[in-house]
Amino acid sequence: MSKVKTHKVIGFRSTRLAIIFFVFILLLSMKFGPYNQFQLANIATLLIAVLSITLLTGASGQISLGQGAIMAVGGYSAALLVTRLEISMWLAFVLAIFVSALFGLFLGLAAARLSGPYLAGTTLVMALAIPSIAIRFDSFFSGDIGFSVDYGYPPDWLTNLLGEITIEEWSLYVALPFAALSLFAVLNLSNTRSGRTWRAVRDNEVAASLAGINIARTKIIVFVCSSALAGLAGAIYGFRGLVAPSVYPTDLSLLLLTAAVIGGLRSIGGAIFGTFVIVFLPDVIERVTKFLELPETISIYLPALMIGLLLLLTVILNPRGSAGALEHIRHRHKH
Amino acid sequence: MNLRKPLILTVVASALVGSLVMNGISATAASVPGVSKSQIVLGMQLPQTGGASPGYNKIDDAARAYFDYVNSKGGVNGRNIKLVVKDDEYKAGRTITTARELINNDKIFAFFGSVGTQTHLSVVKDINRRGIPDLFVNSGYSGFYTDPKKYPNTFGGLGTYTVEAKILGKYLKEKYPDKKIGILWQSDDFGRNALAGLAASGLKFEARKTSASFVAGTHGSIGLGTQIGQLKANGVDIVIIAAVSSATAVAYATAAALAYKPTKWAVISVGADATTFQTILGARGTAPATSAALLAGTITASHAPAAGDADDEYIKAFKKINDDFNNGADKRWDNNVLQGMNIAYLATSALLGVGKKLTRPKLVSYLKKNGSKLSSAAFSPIGYSGTTHEAFTGFWLGEYDASLVLKPIDGTRVVYTTDSANGPVTVSNYKRPAIAADALPRVG
Amino acid sequence: MNSFLTAFFAGTSQGAIYALVSLGLVLVWRGAGVVNFAQMGQAMFTTYIASQLIQNEYSYWSAFVIALISGALLGALVDLGIMRPLSSRKNSQLLNSQSMRTTVPVIASLGILGVLKALAGIFWAGEERGFPAPVPTTGLRLGNSDLAITGFDLFVIGVVFLALVLTTIFFTRTGMGLAMRASALNPEVTRLSGIRVGSVRTLSWAISGTASSLAGLLVTPKTNLSPNTLDLLLIIGFTAAVVGGLTSLAGSVLGGFILGYVIAFVNVYSAPENVFLAILIFLLLALFLRPQGILGSKEVRRV
Repeated sequence: MSKVKTHKVIGFRSTRLAIIFFVFILLLSMKFGPYNQFQLANIATLLIAVLSITLLTGASGQISLGQGAIMAVGGYSAALLVTRLEISMWLAFVLAIFVSALFGLFLGLAAARLSGPYLAGTTLVMALAIPSIAIRFDSFFSGDIGFSVDYGYPPDWLTNLLGEITIEEWSLYVALPFAALSLFAVLNLSNTRSGRTWRAVRDNEVAASLAGINIARTKIIVFVCSSALAGLAGAIYGFRGLVAPSVYPTDLSLLLLTAAVIGGLRSIGGAIFGTFVIVFLPDVIERVTKFLELPETISIYLPALMIGLLLLLTVILNPRGSAGALEHIRHRHKH
Repeated sequence: MNLRKPLILTVVASALVGSLVMNGISATAASVPGVSKSQIVLGMQLPQTGGASPGYNKIDDAARAYFDYVNSKGGVNGRNIKLVVKDDEYKAGRTITTARELINNDKIFAFFGSVGTQTHLSVVKDINRRGIPDLFVNSGYSGFYTDPKKYPNTFGGLGTYTVEAKILGKYLKEKYPDKKIGILWQSDDFGRNALAGLAASGLKFEARKTSASFVAGTHGSIGLGTQIGQLKANGVDIVIIAAVSSATAVAYATAAALAYKPTKWAVISVGADATTFQTILGARGTAPATSAALLAGTITASHAPAAGDADDEYIKAFKKINDDFNNGADKRWDNNVLQGMNIAYLATSALLGVGKKLTRPKLVSYLKKNGSKLSSAAFSPIGYSGTTHEAFTGFWLGEYDASLVLKPIDGTRVVYTTDSANGPVTVSNYKRPAIAADALPRVG
Repeated sequence: MNSFLTAFFAGTSQGAIYALVSLGLVLVWRGAGVVNFAQMGQAMFTTYIASQLIQNEYSYWSAFVIALISGALLGALVDLGIMRPLSSRKNSQLLNSQSMRTTVPVIASLGILGVLKALAGIFWAGEERGFPAPVPTTGLRLGNSDLAITGFDLFVIGVVFLALVLTTIFFTRTGMGLAMRASALNPEVTRLSGIRVGSVRTLSWAISGTASSLAGLLVTPKTNLSPNTLDLLLIIGFTAAVVGGLTSLAGSVLGGFILGYVIAFVNVYSAPENVFLAILIFLLLALFLRPQGILGSKEVRRV
């Protein structure tokens, strides 16, 4: 662990890094066509969800295969608020954070006693069961038809400022500020006292508890923070067009985990990289298969195959993900 | 934890990934997206992989085969039709992204034949607000079509589940007034729409007695034993099935295992594909003769000719095109292939009808005005009008014979028609136009 | 025939299969400290192999045996190719904490699951197909009334029972089995006493692979076979294993039957839409009320 820094310094650095990310994505979007602008919006949205895993697994050693279900909680909260109470989308997003944090509290209370594979399995069952609630109580949650919700149109002041804004650009402008704020929050958290407490619990529960850390309470707090992020991501993700069970399948949870693992479970930079990979991989594969003229019977399964292989190879060859690989290279250069 | 340097390095690495897929300089914008002098580009989204793909993954290959045939005959007004297909794995989250890819990268002129209710729900609003034609959606969910003010550019490619269930329900209620009628349905939008249609025809079911449901997709894990056992225990004589074909096969096999022989099976057409039925039971070791005997006598409804009706002129022509032009992994002739060919035929005639000066608004207003006059292989009238965008508003009822060809009940084909609301079921007097010798549609 | 018996028979025959899945999970957890989320992916793959052989006119029984052997080989391969290299990285920074040591193999097994599904898609086009049963699937009759149980159900129950007896004999009567039990309880002491812990580990992977392969062969005749068919089975099997106590072989079997009855009775007396929710609630209750499981031992389960 590097030397202790004051909160002020850390806050300053987190702000700077979040701004770098924000500006970088914006600059990138100017070079991109509409489709890739939308993919950047996807990256911004999913990054928030991947960060929720980085926070949970990387900082506390707990693994959740059910982040997609928490995203559904956030998505449904926001959609219900907007369609039933007709409040603004922005307010709904903020309230979705609170609802999913509350959900995270209950989840944490249940999960604080669980470790490793117990938690993985329980959250996997949750990923399956939560979306089925929407079908079970379909008069309230509108079954698998769900809620058609979207970002609407950009406000006039923005169009006056920037000229005409396409649907894809607007998606990015909605998601990106939230992504930057989440990045800021996670950077801050992981460098403060509580972040160090979490890592102590992760590395050795016995030692941490001897040092006077309340293990159960720490785990619950991690769950609350992680769920808040996942819920926000789920709300933004749902407002791309639809909040319904089919938007939050079990595979979504696994895809997010893949992004976190590929990047390196402990690295926030890795989370960004991993998100880029899972979002752009299908497009890269599409180009490669077109170039190689692979038959459709093979090419349609390549994205799933590559995701699985990447996950496997990362874990076997370099469990610390791409961030670990980068650090390794830097170390070699130093010596 | 030193975060700063890895983060900056990551950002650079990410940029590399990003630039890998960056678009080149975008092509000079044509006046109409997806239409050039020599080509019309259509886009289709469907599950090619994943749990929901079996069966449906044949529709795109069949449609492409028909378009390739049209292209081999000179195309539509000198333009070839190109069909770009995206696999959305039946995940609505993915559909949103693939739709944007079709719109922005493949620059399609129109969406065509999208498969799936839930997946299409996630994009239908966006497609309509962009003014892109949304042709012949492969979903029987009436919510897409009955309010054209909501989705002005969306047109159906199937009959709605409600219309079909109303027609089937009325028939069963009148034909078997003294029998106990029950249902096995999958608890999703399709099953619920079917229930609503049956209710509109006066057929109501009692939970845990005459109504048995299962979670869509779980016939493969939890099985249907308890549901079928429940129908049997309650002495249900007539079993209606609202489920996909693979689940229908499991249901019949389970019933046979439990020595349950209802007087009559009636299957909503989605789950009544004889080929899927026999293939699945065949691989389970059931001899074709035995599985045929199981399905024989089953009542189902159809807007199109029976896939097994080798004498039908449309089937003959489409089968030949399927043999010559289909390059898909599985081109075995069945209802899915027929459906893919038929909506491609319909699309071709619509594009022909608009004429050489093809634009998006022109296509939409042509379909509103003249869509009901277009022809297809279906025996059903086409519903497109200013007030509804339902495709096939009529169904005929048939019974599988011993060789699994769907034959009209009592020998003569009667097409019934109704709406997706509470309107009455009436007999349609629609006459299907003959197919031309070259199997190309004629307009006007 | 009343609905109670319907649920009871369905619960028994389904429960037997869940017990097998759960047993497979517990074997690997005890033997290698890994919860193998790829287990039913392996089973799906070997069932496809059997299906392919049957399509190529091989007899059912030769396909059956080959599938079991491939199940064992696949299990051993997963251990030798992936899990062992992983555990030998104990000194790496990521794996030096206890929580991550159990987490990382879970991630690896998810990767394996993804790869197996994609490969099955490429090899067998991902189509949903039926799978044959070796004995008639017609219902049995008692006097004049039909029972909600078929000859195949009895076959399943019989085969699972046989498999359980063989497993028990193996663990209580053979040297290798005793070594496996010892190594699960205390690998260091076992190593010192001269037992090759590595081969013991691989063997438990192989046995687990065989058990899940058997589960695949027994469940698909009632359902169908596709790359995703068996996913739900893993989730149910996991719940069963936790309910029974992740460390107890007998507990896992008991858990499997309990889950079978829970699902069947929810199906009959409530609604199938409630099944997933019931599984989750049941799992949470089990974890709260008896975190060590019905037959699990308290010391091994770290709370």
